[in-house]
Amino acid sequence: MVTLVRQEIFKLVHKKSTWATSIILLVIMTIFAVISRNHPNTIDPKTIFVSLFTGFDWIVLFMIAAASSIISMEFQYGTIKELLYRKYYRGEILVSKWLAMVLYSIYFIALAFVYSLILKLILFNGTFQLSETYGNKHSILVTALYTSLSGFVALWLVLSLVLLLANLFKSSAAAISVGIIGYFAINVVSSMLIIAIKKWTWLKWNPLNMMNYPNQVISPSLKHMTLLSTNELLIGSLVYMVIFLGISYSVFKRRNV
Amino acid sequence: MADTILDVEGLTKNFGSKKVLKNVSFSVEKGHIVGLVGPNGAGKSTIMKAILGLFNYPSGKITLDGQPVSQTSHQALEKVGALIEYPGIYPFLSGLQHLELFSNDGVSKQQIMDVVDKMKMGSYIKRKAKTYSLGMKQKLGIALALVNHPALIILDEPMNGLDPQANKDLRTIILDLAKQGTTFLISSHILSELEKLIDDLIVIDKGQIVYRGDMATLESGSTRSMVLQTSDDAKAKDILSQNGYKLIDSDHVSVVEDETTKMADIIKLLSTNNIEIEDVKHVHSDLETSLLDLLKNDKVKEG
Repeated sequence: MVTLVRQEIFKLVHKKSTWATSIILLVIMTIFAVISRNHPNTIDPKTIFVSLFTGFDWIVLFMIAAASSIISMEFQYGTIKELLYRKYYRGEILVSKWLAMVLYSIYFIALAFVYSLILKLILFNGTFQLSETYGNKHSILVTALYTSLSGFVALWLVLSLVLLLANLFKSSAAAISVGIIGYFAINVVSSMLIIAIKKWTWLKWNPLNMMNYPNQVISPSLKHMTLLSTNELLIGSLVYMVIFLGISYSVFKRRNV
Repeated sequence: MADTILDVEGLTKNFGSKKVLKNVSFSVEKGHIVGLVGPNGAGKSTIMKAILGLFNYPSGKITLDGQPVSQTSHQALEKVGALIEYPGIYPFLSGLQHLELFSNDGVSKQQIMDVVDKMKMGSYIKRKAKTYSLGMKQKLGIALALVNHPALIILDEPMNGLDPQANKDLRTIILDLAKQGTTFLISSHILSELEKLIDDLIVIDKGQIVYRGDMATLESGSTRSMVLQTSDDAKAKDILSQNGYKLIDSDHVSVVEDETTKMADIIKLLSTNNIEIEDVKHVHSDLETSLLDLLKNDKVKEG
C-alpha cells in the first residue's frame, strides 16, 4: 500500500498542474491580503485571515479538479489496465488514490495556513494580534485553525461525492460540475433550505445541510436553522462520506476494464 | 510434459448474452514462445485480460505457476509483465519516469537503462511521452512489460506500429529472453512475424480454440508445390498427369512436390514434348495459408 501511495504521489509531483495550482493559490491569497490591507473597511483583515485569505475556497476548487481526475485520467490515458494487472488488489489501488488525495489536501491546507501566517506577519503586523478574541470566545488563531479543520471535513464530504461520480461516469467533467455546484450552492440555496427544513424536519439530514458544519463550528447559533447539533453535523458528514466512498469501492471492484 | 507456467482450463466468458469465450483450455510451457492467433473479435485480448485478472469469469480456472488467478486473487501476477491492446501513457511523464513508476522496488536504475538500451529508446527516453510517435509509445509499452524481468510476458499485438528495424530488434529481444527461460504469450495479426518467433501456436476463432499444438505439426500438414508457366499450359498438364505427377487443380500448372520430385525431370519431360518453360516458382504454404485453411474449414482440432 505504501508503494502504491508513493506511485500516486509520484504522478502528482510530475504533473505541472500540481505546482501551477500551488502558485496560483499563493498569488490569489497575496492579492486578497494586499486589497484588505489597503481597504480594511471593504475587506475586514481579521475575517479574511480566518478564511486563509480566501485560500480555503480555492483549495476546494483545486481539490475537486484533482479528485475528479485521479481516477478518470487512468481511463482517459488507458493506463487503468497497467494499474490493475499487477499483484495488487483492486481495492488497494482505489484506496491508494484516496490516500494520495488526503495527503494532497493536507498539503494544500498546511501551505495556505502557513502562508496566511506569513502574510499576517508582513502585511498586518500592527493591524491585529493573533491572540485577540474573534467572534464568540476563541482567539483569531484558534478560530482560523477550527475553520480549517472543520472546513477539511466539509471538503472531504464534497470530495467523496466527486470521487464517486468520477468513478461512475469515468469522466471528470460531470464530477467537477457537481462538486463545485455542491460546495458553492450551499451559500445560494441555504435560505431556501432553511425554509424547507422548517417545514419538513427530516430534510435536515440531507447532505447539503451537512455542509453547514464549518459555519456552525464558528457560529454555534446556526443550530436553530440547521436543526442539528454541531456534533450531529460532524457525524452526518462522516456517515455520508462512508456511504459515498463505499459505493465507489464496490463500483470500482466490479468494473470490467 | 515439461514444466507448465500457465494453465487455462475451461474458461468461459460472456459479455451480456454474447459468448466471447467458450470452454477455452490450454497450457503454456516454461521458456516457450506461444502465439495466440485468430481473426478480429475471436477473443484473443479477452483471454489475455482474463489471465491478467482484469475481470471475473463465470466458469473455468486459470493458474499461474500453480497459483490461481482471478479478479480477486492477483498475487501470482507478480511474475507477469504485459502489454494489452495499446500502451497506456501518462502524457505528463517521460518514458524513463514511466519505467521508474512501474518498476518494482528491487529493480535498479541500471536495470531500467538496460531495457532502454535493448529497446534502443535512449535518444528520446527523457522526453515527455506525449511527444512520442505511435511506434515509440508501442516500444515504451513493451519496455514496461519487460522492466520487472517477469517469468511470463504477455504481449497483445506487440508489432503494432513498429518499423521493420524495431520489429527485428523486438524479435531478437524476445528470442534472447526466451533462451534465458522467459515465457511469452504473443498475439499478432502479422503472421509472417509470429512465424519467425513461436514454438507453439494456439488458434482461436469465435471464442473457441480451433488448433493447439507446435509449429512443426501445423507446417507438416501443409503442401509444397511447383508452379510452372509454359508456352502451352493445357498440354503440359496432360503430359505431366500422364507421367504420374500429381497436379493441384488451378489455372496454372501446379505440381505437388515431394522428396522424389526433381525439377530436372520435369523440364526434360516438357522440353521433349516441345513445351517451353517460361517460369518456375516453388510455393510453400506458410503459416498464413495453413491458418486461413484452418479458419475456413472451421473444424475444431485438438492437438
